[in-house]
Order: sequence, then C-alpha cells, then structure tokens
Amino acid sequence: MELDALRAEAERVIRALPGLNLKARAADAAHLGAAGRKRAGSGEQFWQYRHFSQEDSAQRVDWRRSARGDDLYVRETELETARTILFYCDPHKGFDWTGASGRTTKADAARIMMLASGLLLSKAGERVGVLGSGRKASFGKAAADKLGEDLLYSSPSQFPPPPKSQAIFVVASDFYDPVDVWRERLAPLASRSKEGVLLSVSDPMEETFPWQGRVRFSRPGDALFRIFGRAETIRERYLERFAAHNQAMEALATGMGWQYVRHSTGNAVELGGASLKAALEAFGARQ
Amino acid sequence: MIAGPFILGAPLALLGLIALPVIWFILRATPPAPQEADLPSLRLLDDVDPQEETPARTPWWILLLRILAAALAIFGLAKPIYAPGVQPAGEVSGPVLIVMDDGWASAPRWSEMRSVAATALDSEARDTAAHLLLTAPRTLDTDPADRLSRTDLDARMSSLAPVSWGTDREEALERLDASGLQPSRILWISDGLTHSGDSETAFADQLAAIAPLSVYAAPPRGPFAITGLAPDADGASLTLQRANTAEASDHYVSALTLDGAALATATASFAADANETTVRFDIPAAALARVERFAITGIEGAGSVWLWDSSARSRRVGLVSGESTAQPLLSDLHYVRKALQPFATITEAPVEDLIAANPDAIIMTDVGQLAPELETRVADWVENGGALIRFAGPRLAAQSDDLVPTPLRRSSRAIGGALTWEEPQSIGSYPDASPFAGLQTPPDVKIRQQVLARPDPDLTGRTWARLADGSPLVTAAPRGRGMLVLFHVTAGPDWSDLPYSGTFVEMLRRAIAAGRGETANDTEGTYTPEIVLNGYGRLVSPGPNASPVDASAFADLIPSEDHPPGLYRGAAGTRAINAAAGFKAQPITSWPAGTRLLGDAEARTIRLGGLLLGLAGLLIAIDLLVALFIAGRLPLFRRTARIAAALAVLGLGAGLGTAPGAEAQDRYQFEQYQPDPYSYGVTPNYGTDIETTGEIDKAMEAALEMRLAYIETGDAALDRTTRAGLRGISLILFRRTSVEPAEPHAVDPETDDLDVYPVIFLALPDNAEPLSSRAVERLNAYLRNGGALFIDTRRGGNIASNDSFADLDRVLPGLDTPPLQPAGANHVLTRSFYLIDGFPGRYQNRQLWIESSGGGDRNARRGDGVSGLFIGDADYLAAWAVDEQGRATLSVDGGDQQREMARRFGVNLIMYVLTGNYKEDQVHLPALLERLGEGGEAEDAPTGPQDTGEDGDPRAIDLEEILRRQEPQ
Repeated sequence: MELDALRAEAERVIRALPGLNLKARAADAAHLGAAGRKRAGSGEQFWQYRHFSQEDSAQRVDWRRSARGDDLYVRETELETARTILFYCDPHKGFDWTGASGRTTKADAARIMMLASGLLLSKAGERVGVLGSGRKASFGKAAADKLGEDLLYSSPSQFPPPPKSQAIFVVASDFYDPVDVWRERLAPLASRSKEGVLLSVSDPMEETFPWQGRVRFSRPGDALFRIFGRAETIRERYLERFAAHNQAMEALATGMGWQYVRHSTGNAVELGGASLKAALEAFGARQ
Repeated sequence: MIAGPFILGAPLALLGLIALPVIWFILRATPPAPQEADLPSLRLLDDVDPQEETPARTPWWILLLRILAAALAIFGLAKPIYAPGVQPAGEVSGPVLIVMDDGWASAPRWSEMRSVAATALDSEARDTAAHLLLTAPRTLDTDPADRLSRTDLDARMSSLAPVSWGTDREEALERLDASGLQPSRILWISDGLTHSGDSETAFADQLAAIAPLSVYAAPPRGPFAITGLAPDADGASLTLQRANTAEASDHYVSALTLDGAALATATASFAADANETTVRFDIPAAALARVERFAITGIEGAGSVWLWDSSARSRRVGLVSGESTAQPLLSDLHYVRKALQPFATITEAPVEDLIAANPDAIIMTDVGQLAPELETRVADWVENGGALIRFAGPRLAAQSDDLVPTPLRRSSRAIGGALTWEEPQSIGSYPDASPFAGLQTPPDVKIRQQVLARPDPDLTGRTWARLADGSPLVTAAPRGRGMLVLFHVTAGPDWSDLPYSGTFVEMLRRAIAAGRGETANDTEGTYTPEIVLNGYGRLVSPGPNASPVDASAFADLIPSEDHPPGLYRGAAGTRAINAAAGFKAQPITSWPAGTRLLGDAEARTIRLGGLLLGLAGLLIAIDLLVALFIAGRLPLFRRTARIAAALAVLGLGAGLGTAPGAEAQDRYQFEQYQPDPYSYGVTPNYGTDIETTGEIDKAMEAALEMRLAYIETGDAALDRTTRAGLRGISLILFRRTSVEPAEPHAVDPETDDLDVYPVIFLALPDNAEPLSSRAVERLNAYLRNGGALFIDTRRGGNIASNDSFADLDRVLPGLDTPPLQPAGANHVLTRSFYLIDGFPGRYQNRQLWIESSGGGDRNARRGDGVSGLFIGDADYLAAWAVDEQGRATLSVDGGDQQREMARRFGVNLIMYVLTGNYKEDQVHLPALLERLGEGGEAEDAPTGPQDTGEDGDPRAIDLEEILRRQEPQ
C-alpha cells in the first residue's frame, strides 16, 4: 500500500470515530497529551512560589503574592513534557498477506490503525515514532508524516532493542510464533515500560480454515510446505490451537501489564482502530 | 482391412488397445494435483501429524475421459475409412479409369466431384493404379495411359480445376482409344448434362463396352447458366437455365461493373417443372452503360456469368433541333424519336449539355450553323468517337458549317415540283462499303427535295445511299475516331416519304452504331482476348493459348481453349464469347444397362482418422481444463463473471447518466444564445462562415450571406484597419440589429463580382495609387446598378484641410460622380436606425457628403433618391475597428461616447444602404397625423429632454423629435 493511500485510509478511520471522547475512560491526569513531570518548569499548572533571586528578571515577580509580605516571590509552574509512543509493525511476509484478493493485508490494516492513532496522539501533543526506525520520536504535524513513512519503509530484520529513553510501545503482529519466542522478544520492552499494546491482526481465512480435500499449504516467507490429504480432518485441531494460542498471547500481555487488542481483517478497520484507541486512552488510567 | 462399412488403413495400430488397461491402472494411481494454499498460521500446526495422508481417488469420470481419449487416439491412428459402397471383391481388379467432366457445367459441384475422384481408389487394392481421362479438350491433354498411384491421385485431384469451355466427349473417347488403355473398371464422374444432342447414351454405351461402368452424376443444383441476353433502351433481360426442374425457387442475379461493383440485383423465379426463366433488369441507361457482366449470385462456373460486349448495348442518343418546338407532333424530331425509341436511349437537350453527357450519337435536325465556340466543342466530341447525324432542311440548305461530311451547295433541289420536269425520285442503291448495304427499300418512298453535295472526287466514297439518279441521299465521313453523317433530306415528311418507312428506322440504327467506330455489321478485323473467364467464372487475364478471333467467326464460335469465354477487343469495340450462350440444359436420364449408378452416399467415403484424433485431442483439452479447475487455478470463471457484472453496471450507469448530461448541454446552449449587451467580447455565432473549406468561390459566398466589402489599397496597415473596422461594425450590427453580416470581404474592383455586395468601402491612404480605368469603369457600373460606395479620405485629422475631396479626382479618375451635398441634420441617415445628431468618426464635427437630392432632373436620380455615394473624412473605419477579442483598437477624439456615436452612425449607414429611403416616409408623418385628426395630440405631448445618445431606447421613434427636425426644412 502506498504512503498516500495509507495516510488517506488513516484519516478516514479518524473521521469515522467522532463519538469517542478522548477522556472517556481516562482520569483527568492521564488523558492523552502533556503529562506533569512533578517539578518546576514550563507548563500551565501552578507548581510553587519561590523567593525572588538576583538572576530573575523583574517581570517574573508575582506582585499579587509579594504584596502580602515584604519579600518578593516568583510564581513557578509545573514542568510538562510529552510522552513518547513507539509503534512497531511485524515485517514478516506472512503478516503482509491476505487470504483473498481485494481484502487489505494484515500488515496494512495494522499500519492504518497505528497511523490513525499516531495522528490522534501527535495532535494531542505526544511524541510518536517507530521502534527501530533509527529516527527519534517527534511531535507536531511532521511527526505523522514521518510515522507513515517509517511504518511503511523501515523493516528491521531483527526485533529491535528498546530505546534508551522512556516510551510506551504498540506492537502489531499476527503473533503466530510460539508464545515463548514472543515472551523473550517482548521482555526488554516490558521492562522499559509498564504500559503497552499488543495489536494482533488475523485474516478470516486463518480464523476459519475453510479448506477441504488435498491441499498443499505453504507459509509465506518460508520455503517449506506441507501437504494434507484431507484438510477438513485437521480443521478442528487447527481451530482449537488457534484459540489456545490467542489466549496464551493475551495472558502474556496481561502478565506484562500490557493490553491485548485483536482485529480481524474481515471486519472494518475502523472497528480495530476504535479498540486500539480505547486501549491507548486507558494509559495511565489503570493503576 | 475391411470391417463392415469401415476400411482400416493401418490395422496394426489397434494393438495399442491392449495398452488401455495399463493406462487405466497408471491413471488411477496418479491423483490430480493438490490445491495450493498460503497460510501464515501454518506455524500453529507445526507439530501436528496429518491423520490421513492417502490421496483422494481420481474421480471415475476423469478416468473415463482419459481412457476414452486414449482409445480414440488409437482408433484414429489405425486410419479408418468409412465407405458404405465398398466391395470386398474389388481387391483383385486391375487399373481404374476415372472419366471426369471438367467443363464449365461441372463448376458448381466441382468440390464434390473432386472428392469422389480422390476416393475412387479407397476401396481398391493397395497398388491399384488409377487413370484419368478429362473430357474437356485441351491443347496438352493428359494421356489416359498415365498411371496414377494413390498419392498421385490425391495430388492431381487437389490441383485440378474446371475449365471455362464445354466438354467434348467424342474427342475424349478418341483419346482413350488412342492410348490403348484397358481398364478393369470405369468411374465416370459426370456433370449429368447432355452437351451436344443425343450422344450421351452413346458415350456411356461405349464406356460400358470397355469395362464395367460406374457413374457418379452431379448435375448442377440451381440455375447454372445464363444463356441469353436481350437489351433494350432502359434495361436488359436475361435467360437463365437450370438442370433440376422439380420445384419452384428464387435466385438472384447481379449486374456488375468490370471492377465488380454491383449496380443492380434482380430475382429469377423458376416455376415448378420449368428449367428456364427470364430475369428483367430495369437500369437507367447511364448506369446500364457501366454494366459489364451479369452473374448469378452464389453459383460458381463460367456459365453463370454473362459478359456483355459493346455491340449489344443500347445506344445513348442526343437530339437537337434547329426549329422551335411549338408543335411537337409536327416537328422533325418527332419522327426521329419514334424511330429510335425501341433501341436507343434518347436525351433532348441543348448541344452543350449533350456534349457534357457524352452520348454515343447526336442527331441534329436542320441546324444550319453552330456558334463557332460550340462548333469546336462538337468537333472535339466527334473526333473522340461521337457520331454526329444531321438532317437537312431549309436552314442547312441556306448556310452550313464545317461539320458536314461533304461540302454542300447553297440551295436545295426540289424534284417533282410544278415547275420541274423531273418526277420525285426513289432511293436507288446502297454502295457495297456502306453500312446500309443489304437494306430493303420500298419503291414507293419518294424524295421530293434534297440538298445537293458539291461534286467532289471523294463524294462517291462518302456516299452511303443514293437516289435513283445517282445523287447522294446519305453521305458520311469519318472525323477523327468519330463519324459525321448527313441525311440530305429533312427528318420529317416535308421533303420526302422516307420518315414514313421502316427503312428510316433501320438507317438511323446503323448510322448511330457508326459512332464510336463501331458499325453494326462489322465483319472485318480480328478481336484479341482482353479478359477471359476461368472455370469458376472469375475474370482472369488470358492464358498463353487464348488466340485472337476473326470477326466473321463470332457467329458460330464454340468456346475452347483457344477461344475461351471472355471479352475480346477489336476495331469495333468489344465482343463477348459466353460459355453458356444458347445452351439447353438437359439432364441425362437414360444409362446403359448394367451401369452402376452411385448416389452421393455410395460414392463418397469419409476418412475418419483425422476426426478421431481431433476428438481425442478435444477430450485431452477438456481433461486439462478439469485438472486446472480441481487445482483451483482457473480464475477465469470468476473473472468473467466480474467483468460481466462491471459491464452491466456500466451500462446501467450510462443509461442513467445520459439524461442529466443532455439537460446540462441544453442549458449551456441556452446560455450561449443570451447575448451580453455590456460585453465587448465577440458575440457567439458571429463570423461563423457557412463555408470555410473554400469549395465555393467568393462571389457565391457573398451571395449566400450578406457581407460588407472593401477595396484594398495596397497599404497593408490601412487595409488591416479597414478590415478591422468592417468587422467591428459587422459585429455591432450582428448584436444590435437583425442585420447579421458575415465576415467582410476584400474585393478587387477589376476582377471580383461587385454586385453581390450591398456596399463597398474605400479608405484612402495618404498617397493612394490611382485605381485603373477598368476598376473605375466597373465601380461606375456597380453604382449605376444600385450599389453603394463609401469613400473615407481620412483627412479629418488635418484641421487645415476642409476639403473632403482632395485627391479624389486623382485616385478615382472618371468616377461617375453626381452632384454632392453635405448630409443635413434631418437627412434619413440621422434616423434610419438610431436618432443621431451628426456623423462622427474618429474625428469630430466632420461633414459627410452624399448625392445631392435637389440637383439634376428627377429622372436622372438614381435609386429613388437614395444616395449611392458617401464621401467623408472622419476616418470612420478606424473608429469602428476592433481586434479579435472585440476591443476597440484606435483612439477616438471624444472617447468612448464618441466611439459609440460613430458606431451608431455606422449602423445607420448600413441600414440606409439596405433599406433606402424607407425611413424617409416619416417625413410625411405630420401630414398623416393631421389627416387622422391626431395632429393636436402630437403637439401636446410632453416634451422631455431628448437623450438619444446613451440610454434612450433608440428604436422608439420619437415623433416630437422628428417634427422638431422637420421645421427648418
């Protein structure tokens, strides 16, 4: 999917979510946007009065407070900085796959949803970026553009290490690798941030396993294939395992304190976008 | 090997059938290819062992399909031949003689006959030889003794084609005898028709006498021969023959030109039990002349084509009379017309038109002398092959031109009058060289008066008919390729009884034929083949054996290889040899005893090998498709369905989409027709010339649409301004009035037609070249005929010069100028459309000079007192000039207001030119009003400020204003 198309899709998703209030579930302090850093600095909230010192300019004197006594006071506000949210989209070929021509691939659906929430976040003043892209997370209008580019074109061969600075992560994949593999991969991120989202995107074909008869299955990106003489006999087992794997992944996410969001490309991408945003809004609200 | 009605060419191939069970076993073991599928979540099944890996069975119907294909292929390779007429006993026989009719009558069913011949050996032993005897004679006949093997026969048959002439079976028998061949069996593939009398049974008898005879008779189906043509003045009738007479049927016959364009088609309806019918073509004479051949649609063969030579054509004759046609039934032409009508197409017209139509002959009755220019043209036409036939009469006797065959005396001779001793003469003799030779002359035809030829040594040679006393009655002389013929009597009964007699008709017919160098009885010279028919009835160039034909031999010529059917060209035009001329179709019905008659089914064999192999291939292809379908690699069905759906949606969309589109277009057009009165942009439709391709000339352009014109002075800048000025005023007229002029024209008064322009403008440069005397002459004529000339000296900018006519005498020497006067403030020009006070141009307050209405006597005044000449110096054209976008290009003294007034003057001027003094009638308005008793009201009407300039409606004629202007007069 081209960058322009991706961006257009993301904008469409944003427009399709008018009823969702940014502060619907979150506490006031934890809404999307600037977060207090509990020390003096530039910001809007009052932090403290302190005595006037020589290096302060006369304009900073808070005359209303100073008039009450003999000393001169300066009014300070609380430092507010933006949070950093880093996205990651699985570059595996099996993720960039669709079961039917005309349907968006799983990776594209994930990118649309992540770009849509990235746009919302950057509007709200947060820093957004792509994990492992090499570029620093940024905010403002340019951030959305960079995010789109990085989502599309940065494809690290290995699962990237966590950044040095503090960040919240959104990891999109189909998570078909074994749970232990994923636990190992996500552990560094989990240790860095106690909040995050695992976005699991799957295709209806994978969910329903509709094949019958003699079928030669191959996994995109792998040269291996397996032939099942009667695919219908394996269906039950497959669905069972599919459900079990999903549960295991959800358990893993919960164990890390992260949220687990599922999306099927058979559904409208707005639906997934909405649940992803709901998950993001819950940051800081869950204690 | 023979098995029932089948013969197997390679029976050992059937051993391959043993392999079928093996093939069945292998096929069973090979399952169809698996379905391919991508599945990223396959990882989840990494450690799962499939419970049942045994492949699905090959479905039984696929198995059947494949076995069937294999069996068909094996049978096909065994080369089976289906031959119901096969005789196992024939294997021991000797050579087979194939006698084949390859004349033109075989062409319609040639392919059948050929395939019968090709399979003649199928039921015979392997090394049986075939011998071929073709019944149509050729120069290089094949020897019947030549052995043809099975493969040779195939090759020979595929290259054999019917010939375009008939068969000669007697001759073929002689050839067979000469070859000394002793066949063991004879197969006669016949066209089933007798060709010359009753020799058919004889031929079959003699063949049967040599060896056992089988006959395959293939008489043509449907009509196959055009046997005759009868032309007349406006069409032609064809005779068609057919062999089978059983039922009624309809067929089509086309009349074609030489290059194959069909000019007409007619239906030939055969009644039941009739083998002959007539087709009638009604074709106008001019088109008839282009018809070169007739052909039966859908039937091959030389007999189905009738070539039409020039000798059988009906002639086109033009008639010209010197006398008036007040009494048509008494005129000379009446007799000529009646005589010609059965066999010629007659046109009556002036000589010029006739020559343009280029008829075969022109008949002039008593035309004495043609105009010299016309005479040259007639002479040219004669030299190009026309026949000019003239009849004498009083005028010709008085004075003749050069277009007579022999010099004439300046008077006529009356024989048998009251003052003569001689009796009226009868026709004496025709010289042998004359085309009239052999005509029967009734003795009671008397000649009472004639014009006489001057004695001349050539006269005897030029005489076609003499009177009893030896004086010429008809003389003729060749002129170029054509012929001049003179009857020394009138075409009517005034001078002789000849027009009453049948001889007259015959004489005229032969005289007409003398044109084009063709005489009806030309028996001299040879005709060389120009284009001939092949056996299938197609036109080809003549082969090496086609040789010229003597003209006298045409009558009883039998087409042959030397003289194939076709068109032959000779001195007297073309003659045709037609294959089926006079042919009588008679199917052979009696055969010698013991002859084996082969029906279509019996004689024909079908080779099944290719068919079976093809079927096998088809089954394999089906199998392939099925395999692809099972493997899920056949997205074709889905795609076609999608395409169909898309097309349906598109169609629906188009249906819904047209209505709003059309509406929008209507609205757009409507907006286009709304002129914006405040815009100086070019008005829509203005200047759309009806003809821009230059196909019609300037004068016609000007005549078709009203235009202004100007005379080019040679000063390029000034001419541009003049043109722009005329365009500007045309545009204003187009917008504001019902006058809608087209683009102005530049005219050259010396050459162009001036009468088609209502007014011509002449803007003079500073030092103008004088116009030539011819130009001035024509301008004078133009003015006399009611034209209008507007001369702008453009001197108004020079305050010092007060004389508008400076230089005019020099530039227009000899212009017929009437007395002039300045146009007054109450002249019609001030109110012919707008009410204006003066005549401003680019310069203000200049005078406009027009013809004086008072001077001279009233009769001399041209055009009802309307001035045809306008002379001004205010540079009007510059004031009107606009560029392509309709913007004014040059400044004007008084700014936009004066420019507007100048334009109004321009409108008034054109209106005055076009309507004359129509508006002058209002001069009498006070008197009219008074007579109606309403004069007082007009006096009492409130007088407001008269603003005739900016916003007053110019079309509302203000009585007050007119009355006010009337007073000073």
